[in-house]
Amino acid sequence: MTVTRGDFLDTLLGARPPTRDDAGWLSRLRAEALERANALSVPTTRDEEWRFTDLAPLTRLSFQPVRVAGTPDLARLRERFLPQAQMRLVFVDGVFAPGLSQLAAAAGACVSELGSALQGPRAAVLEAHLGRLAQFDANLFAGLNTAFLSYGAVIALDAGASLAEPVQILHVATRRDQPHAIYPRLLLAAGARSRCTVVEDFIGAEEAGYFSAPVTEIVLERDATVEHVRLQREAPGAFQLGTCAVSQAAGSHYHAVSVVLGARLSRLDWRVLHAGAGCQSVLDGLTLIDGRQLADTHSLVDHAHPHAHLRQQQKCVVSGAGHAVFNGKILVRQAAQRTDAAQSFRGLLLSARAQIDTKPQLEIFADDVKCAHGAAIGQLDPEQAFYLQSRGLTAPKALNLLTYGFAAEVIERIPVASLVRELECALVERTVESK
Amino acid sequence: MSAVLNDLVNRPYEAGFVTAIESETAPRGLSEDIIRLISAKKKEPGWLLEFRLSAYRHWLTMQEPKWANVHYPQIDFQDIIYYAAPKPKKLKTMEEVDPELLRTFDKLGVPMNERAALAGVAVDVIFDSVSVATTYKKKLAEVGIVFCSMSEAVANHPELVRAYLGSVVPSSDNYYAALNSAVFTDGSFCYIPKGVKCPMDLSTYFRINTQDSGQFERTLIVAEEGASVSYLEGCTAPKFDTNQLHAAVVELVALDDADIKYSTVQNWYAGDEQGRGGIFNFVTKRGLCKGANAKISWTQVETGSAITWKYPSCVLLGEGSIGEFYSVALTNNLQQADTGTKMIHLGRNTRSRIVSKGISAGRSNNSYRGLVKVAPKADDARNYSQCDSMLIGSNCGANTFPYIQVRNPTAKVEHEATTSKIGEDQLFYFASRGVGAEEAVSMIINGFCKDVFQQLPMEFAVEATKLLGLKLEGSVG
Repeated sequence: MTVTRGDFLDTLLGARPPTRDDAGWLSRLRAEALERANALSVPTTRDEEWRFTDLAPLTRLSFQPVRVAGTPDLARLRERFLPQAQMRLVFVDGVFAPGLSQLAAAAGACVSELGSALQGPRAAVLEAHLGRLAQFDANLFAGLNTAFLSYGAVIALDAGASLAEPVQILHVATRRDQPHAIYPRLLLAAGARSRCTVVEDFIGAEEAGYFSAPVTEIVLERDATVEHVRLQREAPGAFQLGTCAVSQAAGSHYHAVSVVLGARLSRLDWRVLHAGAGCQSVLDGLTLIDGRQLADTHSLVDHAHPHAHLRQQQKCVVSGAGHAVFNGKILVRQAAQRTDAAQSFRGLLLSARAQIDTKPQLEIFADDVKCAHGAAIGQLDPEQAFYLQSRGLTAPKALNLLTYGFAAEVIERIPVASLVRELECALVERTVESK
Repeated sequence: MSAVLNDLVNRPYEAGFVTAIESETAPRGLSEDIIRLISAKKKEPGWLLEFRLSAYRHWLTMQEPKWANVHYPQIDFQDIIYYAAPKPKKLKTMEEVDPELLRTFDKLGVPMNERAALAGVAVDVIFDSVSVATTYKKKLAEVGIVFCSMSEAVANHPELVRAYLGSVVPSSDNYYAALNSAVFTDGSFCYIPKGVKCPMDLSTYFRINTQDSGQFERTLIVAEEGASVSYLEGCTAPKFDTNQLHAAVVELVALDDADIKYSTVQNWYAGDEQGRGGIFNFVTKRGLCKGANAKISWTQVETGSAITWKYPSCVLLGEGSIGEFYSVALTNNLQQADTGTKMIHLGRNTRSRIVSKGISAGRSNNSYRGLVKVAPKADDARNYSQCDSMLIGSNCGANTFPYIQVRNPTAKVEHEATTSKIGEDQLFYFASRGVGAEEAVSMIINGFCKDVFQQLPMEFAVEATKLLGLKLEGSVG
């Protein structure tokens, strides 16, 4: 990363690190991350990985650390609660809100806030995994998150444990006098043969201006199954620079759906590592933006062992002067023979000023593999719109229906029925609004 | 299976020999004085010297590009001889050509006097940096086509050269283009006047001869309104142990309704099995569809060079212009290739098509890097890209880096990529039908590359098919 050292980074790095009385290893991890973050600078468009995502609007601002959480709009917040979630962790401005959270005991599983998890029987699991997957050597934002890590969500499942209902992790940002910085964190350690569904939801008050650098770490042991839903519905003025790092042991299944709707500028660095043979990954993504929003998804699936299976589907719908970026890298190492990987990217441009930059990238070093990717960018098919009009729909309605159909394909992949309905309604509203 | 494959791939380089000709060389290294020497030797006008010097000054401020997926030792640009020319002689007929030189072409299978007559091809032979003999010039002159070496063009048609040189690839374009602009010694120049269809395929044979002399050719082809031309470029080089740098620049300009087809078969020395020696091929090729409905088509078969860094591109400026790129890139042993194309859609209704086939064998690394860019004003632009990779053996790599940038909602851009291998089941099926492994591989490869070979002029298609077979001998088994 090249040098642009400004107020932005100095303010963030100048924040007092958390002083909570934690285990020695955690303090060391924070110190290490802070040292590393001090050595790094904000990436610029000269960095290949950031070519299309200009962070200049972010670096012109400065963000204050959060000492005391603000007060969220409770009525609006409750609307976001998943009815079927038995367990819910709510963080307001990055600070754990026990009063809004709901925790229940489950056999063989621990769902709790980082502080209590560190005191609990599974503290060793935390030590083994926290900060190991989301490496901060070259990732400034994961470094900042780790350096100022104080609250976080922890889900630890013992071997064979299973959570029938989804766990919801809800991050809400409030409106404050000064723009603030928050560092949401989730560690999910799924033991051998365990199963669970987790929904991460990032929301913010309409007028809030803040910077969020969330980090999610997911470890799947042998034959574990994790369904992961990540909803980015940040406030329109927010900046989110997120990292999601996943490690899969042999025979594990990871199915993720990432939906990006909010934030002025957002980025997700999504890395899935196959650490054992026969891993299965399904990654679905939808980006729906307009106005002057910029949304960037960078995914890397690192196939290092044989018999892996990947299905990745990414869709972007861009209107207004929105700018969507997708960089999907599939790496097949020499040992990963018999890998079957397929990636598809489809972009829909709905206005003259909208833009999409994509690079579906294959790096293959094994010969006995099946790898394919496809990318298509265009607008809605006029023939389809004509057909719908011939059936009595008005032109804008026809376009909305087609846009809805395009995006709904990803939303339908979410394994939580109530969430699918909620997002479909939001989608209808959004497509109607844009006309 | 690998035993047969290995035998197939590892055939020695047949064109490897050094011709002992006395050449007049400049001292090693690069400075403004060397550039002045080159310019003086070639009796160039002042504006060209100025063009070279400004390119050199810009080059000094530039960084060597590091983004390509290739690895090689640092190049010492002060250890290269920038000018080498066969001793000047006045040539009137073919008989006067240095017999040593003619024998070189014989060994390569290019007896030029016969070949030119038999194939009906005008051959502008570049031997090292100075054009030695040109045939068929008269026939072309009858229809007003100028086809000569760059030095002659500078002397006889300075206004054309001055108007177009650096107009597609500016001297500050990239590191190697700047270097080339500063030190280029010769190359081909071709000008097709308005409405003229070139009566024959034009071809040039480049050969790097003097040990350690980098070759920096400069090719410029201009097709006026309604003109059309098919240009063939074929390359071989003798076997050397030290690396050789090759940084060429090719510029194509197509005006209204003009059509340029540029085909290349590149088979330079790729280094030995341990990766020693071989050519560094860092080429900038770009075509500008300046006029409405212009068409530029690049076809390349890349089988040689230790390192290839090459992106023949099309700038589609004219309304309704068309860009095409057909490529077969084969790498074996320790070869590295980072090649692809750029299609820059600037005008309305522009169309482009990319078909790229990469074959990796041995321990080589083959990357496709492409850019499809649709500018805000390029309404109804259309692109279709297909890049397929084939891996032979488990020690090689195949990568694709397709950049797609769309700024216009009416654009339709599609990209597809697949990776496959020659399966044992396929070879078994062939065997059950009585086809041996070697022939089977050749058939599979030819099928894989068919879309590209169909685009090559006849004689090149035959050569290319043979070439791939030769290159892969021993790699399938």
